[in-house]
Amino acid sequence: MTETTQETVLSVRGLAKAFGANTVLDGIDLDVHRGETVCVLGPSGSGKSTLLRCINWLEKPDSGQITLNGSRIGVRPGGNILMNDAELARMRARIGMVFQHFALWPHLTVLQNIIEAPLHVQKRPLAEVLPEAEALLRKVGLQAKADAYPARLSGGQKQRVGIARALMMKPDVLLFDEPTSALDPELVGEVLAVMQDLAREGMTMVVVTHEMAFAREAATSVVFMDQGRIVETAPPERFFRNPQTERARQFLLRYAGAQPKELS
Amino acid sequence: MIDEFATVWEHRDLLLDGFGNTILISLLAGLLALILGALLSTALMARRKSVAGLATVLVDAMRCVPFLLFAYLIYYGLPSLGLRLSNWSAGLLALVIYHTAYMAELLRGAWLQLPSETIEAGRAYGFAGMGLFRRIILPPVLFAALPNLGNQLIQIIKDSAFLTIIAVTELTHAANAIQGTYFVPFAAFVGAVLLYWVLCLAVEAMVGFAGTRAEGWR
Amino acid sequence: MGLTAANWLALLQGATFTVALSLAAIAIGIPTGLVLALIRWQRVPVLAPIAAVLVSILRAAPAVTLALLIFFALPTIGVSLERVPAAILTLTLSTSAFNCEIWRAALLALPKDQIDAALSVGMPRLLRLRRIVLPQVARAALPALVSEITLLVKVSPAVAVLGVVDITRAAVRIGAQTYVPLPPFMGALLIYSLIVFVFVRLQRVVERRMALANEVLR
Ligand SMILES: Nc1ncnc2c1ncn2[C@@H]1O[C@H](COP(=O)(O)OP(=O)(O)OP(=O)(O)O)[C@@H](O)[C@H]1O
Ligand SMILES: [Mg+2]
Repeated sequence: MTETTQETVLSVRGLAKAFGANTVLDGIDLDVHRGETVCVLGPSGSGKSTLLRCINWLEKPDSGQITLNGSRIGVRPGGNILMNDAELARMRARIGMVFQHFALWPHLTVLQNIIEAPLHVQKRPLAEVLPEAEALLRKVGLQAKADAYPARLSGGQKQRVGIARALMMKPDVLLFDEPTSALDPELVGEVLAVMQDLAREGMTMVVVTHEMAFAREAATSVVFMDQGRIVETAPPERFFRNPQTERARQFLLRYAGAQPKELS
Repeated sequence: MIDEFATVWEHRDLLLDGFGNTILISLLAGLLALILGALLSTALMARRKSVAGLATVLVDAMRCVPFLLFAYLIYYGLPSLGLRLSNWSAGLLALVIYHTAYMAELLRGAWLQLPSETIEAGRAYGFAGMGLFRRIILPPVLFAALPNLGNQLIQIIKDSAFLTIIAVTELTHAANAIQGTYFVPFAAFVGAVLLYWVLCLAVEAMVGFAGTRAEGWR
Repeated sequence: MGLTAANWLALLQGATFTVALSLAAIAIGIPTGLVLALIRWQRVPVLAPIAAVLVSILRAAPAVTLALLIFFALPTIGVSLERVPAAILTLTLSTSAFNCEIWRAALLALPKDQIDAALSVGMPRLLRLRRIVLPQVARAALPALVSEITLLVKVSPAVAVLGVVDITRAAVRIGAQTYVPLPPFMGALLIYSLIVFVFVRLQRVVERRMALANEVLR
């Protein structure tokens, strides 16, 4: 469905992270190629959010390497010197992130939310940014809400603004952390539809989700995590039809529709 | 500067005397203001509109008055009422009257948060009037207001320093006396400020402790 | 009350001067409190614990004692201030400490994902602060900041101990001239309480406005 190339956009090698004595990520290796949609599945507490947050250094990894289009994130080229705040900011500007609880800025309108970073981080002129913002709002179906404050939006609308805000930066890769799990069931579809469009258009995405149907339809590959490790990586057809590991099988059993539910 | 602190240390009994006086007058004022404030809060919450209205105006007005000017007013005003009080008693009286208004308002705040069933249950068991207030309303109100009561006590301690202007021999007055006699202003006032600090930390700690103890009893 | 027009004028001038001193202290103290709060919020090494202790001491220090410390003690360490700057410094230090706590509470209440979102679009530190943190925190802190203004205006007659010709000193002077100290203090108390009352009203207006604005934003 998508033309994925072998060009690696994001590469994670030996990523480890512990909170105190709690090892949350335990040697993660992951490659994301241009145009791919990688869905990350796994039980609660398996480290999915932490993985995303380490990728853009919202959380500082303990060890490992993260590379975006060939340049190391968090560490200066050629050395072991950590990046400072400004350098990290420049790297993060190339990685979009969509949050479980939207994290829209409540003091800014929808339009202001999405043009904030292009204007002040990328320092692009308003005349250039505004048409893009309007086009993007149209794309996510929110042109009528441009001047509304986030508090006036439904959850689904908020999350579509969250996606538009990330897209405005034209990121190399877009990270989603359970973008629909804070939504009322009837609002999940509108957000997934936008994400599916993005996948089809060849956006490179890493999506942590519990929406099995979305993973099955939109993912180019599925990554299954458990206890801080990647236990299984497979194309969605194979993962859902015939998972290779016992833990993945048990995980899928708990989601109706993934496999026929066993009768007790 | 070390010399200065050595001098103050030599005359520490003066400072500690003042400290003791500050503690005494603050605690006494706090206790009396709490009792009178509890009584006044019943007027604030009275069902008679005229009583509640009058009490509210009084309390609101008092909360606009700066304590220093109020202390002067009491100090100079008492003799013209034919009352001859010592400076210490006049100071105590000023603290008590002034903070009664704050205590009353603070208790009213906690009272308003009280679930109405508590009061109705009390009535159902035959409590009325002062009995109802003392046995049913006041205990939970005091408990809920505990952190604010602690803050008010700290405010009283700080206001007691104003009494130095009417020559009450509390901590600030003692520090001022030491600095005037031995010319050690730095050590004297730093010492005083640190003692106020210790006192306020102690009040906070006690309120915290009482809070957790009371939590356990529930 | 037996006060002449000239007496009233002197009291009014004194009151204006006291309020002016407070407003100067507030103008410096609000940003100073913010800086202290940011130092603590960002856990700046060395500075953060120093700020925490300093704020805690200043919050416990009575204004009178602090004024005496600054005026009499600073010359000992080679800094000697005129009365008026010493008065402003006293009030500034005191209000900065309280403002620090207000700002810090607002900063701590800011949801963490607000910062995460700013980080994720590549905002560097100052931009995050200016565009995302401050606008939200200022809104949250405003009612408490205004309330602290009222409290400061109310304690500021304390600077009379420095001999600044403020409201208190004006009343003392008139009393010394007429040999009847009570009337000038009644006048002073009346004037100054009315001023505090105006600040209290202002506070209510701000609270109501903010409640309306928050309806839109939250
Ligand atoms: N900031 C933190 N400090 C301490 N522990 C943390 C922190 N963040 C996450 N953890 C712990 O790390 C583990 C993994 O958390 P993480 O949020 O990455 O899991 P997850 O796979 O995203 O789970 P969920 O599906 O519930 O979102 C959990 O045990 C969590 O308690
Ligand atoms: Mg998670």
